[in-house]
Amino acid sequence: MASMLRSGRPVFNDGGRKLAAFLAALAFFLSTVEYMLPRPVPFMRLGLANLPILIAVDLLPFGAYMALALVKVVGMSVLTGSLFSYVALFSLAGTMASALIMRGLRTVAGPKALSYVGLCVAGAVASNMVQVALARLFVFGPSARFMAPAFMALGLASGLVLGSFTEAFASSSTWLVKVRAEASLSGGATL
Amino acid sequence: MRRRRLRRRRRLRLRRLPLIYQADQPVRGTRLSIKPLDVLIVALSAIALVALSISVYGGPAAAVLVVSSGEQDWIYPLSQDRQIQVEGNLGLTYLHIEDGMVRIDASPCVNKTCIAAPPLGNTGDWSACLPNGVFIRIEGSEDDDGIDATVR
Repeated sequence: MASMLRSGRPVFNDGGRKLAAFLAALAFFLSTVEYMLPRPVPFMRLGLANLPILIAVDLLPFGAYMALALVKVVGMSVLTGSLFSYVALFSLAGTMASALIMRGLRTVAGPKALSYVGLCVAGAVASNMVQVALARLFVFGPSARFMAPAFMALGLASGLVLGSFTEAFASSSTWLVKVRAEASLSGGATL
Repeated sequence: MRRRRLRRRRRLRLRRLPLIYQADQPVRGTRLSIKPLDVLIVALSAIALVALSISVYGGPAAAVLVVSSGEQDWIYPLSQDRQIQVEGNLGLTYLHIEDGMVRIDASPCVNKTCIAAPPLGNTGDWSACLPNGVFIRIEGSEDDDGIDATVR
């Protein structure tokens, strides 16, 4: 407990590098799974790869957290083959926006006021709206307005699904308990 | 003899107890607990969604297809069947109007998401080829920039 910050995040010896690397690998894997899944509606994505980022909100220090988000974007772009097109910029902006919004919300509200469901919906909606805004600015102009309702609905739906899953996972995962326990043990040793 | 057996039994019980305790805990924790800010965020998103939907889908009945690429817009009546080619960033996107429905046939992109999309036929329907920078939408009137007039 001595190593816990007021935020409830554990303190890692290595600044959370090992855990960030593991979560990034998980994001790669989940991107692949998501790429394989058939989509009932084009443009619709569940955002499975955001699961590690969502978990990391309460685990990693800020630097490692943003690095994880960046690696997720690169991994996703490599998988879909869009790394060197401006589609990757949309992905980058969306992921960064959602990562910052989720982190910001968590600093304002602790786990007692805000669960992963709310965090995830806010993140998903932020990501989708930023991408629509970019599409309006750089690609489609004013007609991008027509995209907004669909993307809003998608963000809300996928945020609810993924947020509920993460909430259930986080409240029952023994792995998560272990990660926190190990961090507090090693953190205590360095202090 | 008897004492030793008793001792062993006690040790076994001690060892078993934490196991049962650990198995119990996740089960208790799995129920979803919704927090006040969750409700607020979901409600705000839902309100925004309804507002956006009304402003986009609340227009008059479908009448024209608007094709945008770069700075330019082309408007076609939905009532006439026709083949359309649009020049984009990467090349030509092919689409056609048939029986009041619009479908993208080919586009020079990697994902081909726009081709997999269902045909468009109602006001507010849209499709896009993001890599090629081509956006198509269905509008109710021929007035291109007066859509917001229907919102009260």
